[in-house]
Amino acid sequence: MQKIIIIEDTKIIREELKIFLSKYDYEIDAPDYFNNIVEYIYKSDADLILLDINLPVFDGYHICREIRKNLDTPIIVVTSRDSETDELMSMNLGADDFITKPYNTQILLARISAVLKRTSKNSLSDILSYNDMKLNLLNGSIVYKENTEQLTKNEIKILSYLIKKKGTIVSREELMEYLWNSDVFIDDNTLSVNVTRLRKTLEDIGVKDVIQTRRGLGYIMP
Amino acid sequence: MSIKEYLKERFLFIFVNSIVFLILALILAILEIRSIVIFSIFIIWFLPLAVYISIEFLKYAKYYNNMEEILQGLDKKYLLPEIMEKTDFLEGKLFYDILKTCNKEMHEHVNYYKNLQLEYREYIETWVHEIKTPISSSMLIIENNKSLITKNIGKEIKKIEGFVEQALYYSRSSDVSKDYIIKRFDLSVAINNTIKRNSKDFINKRINLQLDEIHAVVYSDIKWVEFILNQIITNSIKYIKSTGGSIKIYSTTNKNNVILTIQDSGIGISEKDINKVFEKGFTGEYGRKYNTSTGMGLYLCKKLCDKLGLEINIKSELGIGTKVNIIFPLSKFNLLN
Repeated sequence: MQKIIIIEDTKIIREELKIFLSKYDYEIDAPDYFNNIVEYIYKSDADLILLDINLPVFDGYHICREIRKNLDTPIIVVTSRDSETDELMSMNLGADDFITKPYNTQILLARISAVLKRTSKNSLSDILSYNDMKLNLLNGSIVYKENTEQLTKNEIKILSYLIKKKGTIVSREELMEYLWNSDVFIDDNTLSVNVTRLRKTLEDIGVKDVIQTRRGLGYIMP
Repeated sequence: MSIKEYLKERFLFIFVNSIVFLILALILAILEIRSIVIFSIFIIWFLPLAVYISIEFLKYAKYYNNMEEILQGLDKKYLLPEIMEKTDFLEGKLFYDILKTCNKEMHEHVNYYKNLQLEYREYIETWVHEIKTPISSSMLIIENNKSLITKNIGKEIKKIEGFVEQALYYSRSSDVSKDYIIKRFDLSVAINNTIKRNSKDFINKRINLQLDEIHAVVYSDIKWVEFILNQIITNSIKYIKSTGGSIKIYSTTNKNNVILTIQDSGIGISEKDINKVFEKGFTGEYGRKYNTSTGMGLYLCKKLCDKLGLEINIKSELGIGTKVNIIFPLSKFNLLN
């Protein structure tokens, strides 16, 4: 499990962000005391830092600069200031990404996973597994026992989202929102077509009934 | 200043002199004085007078014509007192001092309002950033507590976010300072970001999005362009009344420009309204009917486009749809401007 530290002084955002990111299988650490935040980060061994700019004691820029003296943990700066100077400052001080408030949560997630993927040493997150089935995100193939099949971009996105959320019902709206946020702008009908094709491909390699339809609710991979 | 105008001004003086001379000449003629004497008196009387008037005319004409020329050449006419020459004749001196004083007062007056506006603008910008925190936290709370109710609240908060953004860009657009950075960017990035922002509405209203492959690199400020696109796309979404509507986005690359077109199958704009859509506060019939329009969106788009040197035009047919073109000039010259 990857660990994220949230450095944010607004209590409600900190708490809600903690709940939200925990749902997506991240381990969250969110200090509420900002006096020696830099030492706190040194000790914490995090995989990623979400850093606000307007903070008590020292501002985010200072913290960013201090962290970079000893650590190369990825930092995503989150701020309500959206000027070019702020963005430039953050990047110059060694931040990996820059998101302005109010952010779309799906986009925040996408940025987090992109940064983590870029910086993590193991490429485990590139291969998603579900039972005996393995989805390789790098070459877009699905492997089950001895069978291998190629998937299209849309199918990969759909399958990977369903695998990530296995055991829970994913509504069509939720699935579509996820797709739209990852640059796949498809409509309702195309989604149905894609899911049908995906099911067929899975059947071809011997995986049956993994994507189930819950009428009126959505899809689920149990 | 022409001779005619000048002589007209001196008419009374010349007239009185001429009358007096005529009376004198008449008396002298009655006294049987030789006409050569009368003529000499005329010369002695009128020659210095004519010379004086001519010299005066040349002096004034030189000064005022010069000033008029400067004035014509000035882009900002109120700057005249800054560059006009000081002269040594009395009238000119007085005139100069009066203008200088007026100018100074005017500057103070303008500065007062400039400062007021700057302060207000700074306040708005801070306010916008402050309000983003509660908006962010509300959205997170909604995300963590999904239900039909929170979903509806979420929609309303999205609207608040839109209005807040409008306020920010309004304050940016009306200031004299340049608040944008022209950079090279891929138009498709701006389009994709805008679509993603509105993904929920597209999905909920089942709007069919026909997005062409857009490979156009333009020179502009991406944040402002995204704001403009967002206004246009949210308008399109808003005025598509039935489900199953469509929005088509495509670009045409010409030699000197890139035209980005956003076409929707919405209710359209009537012919009598189409020329007024860029006016501030204009909502049209439908805006009043549905009471959801502020008349600010397109007005701001136009204003920002003007500032960025982009052209925006709108074509529409009632009941069929609306087509908005944004024209990005294509040359590196824009970077220098």
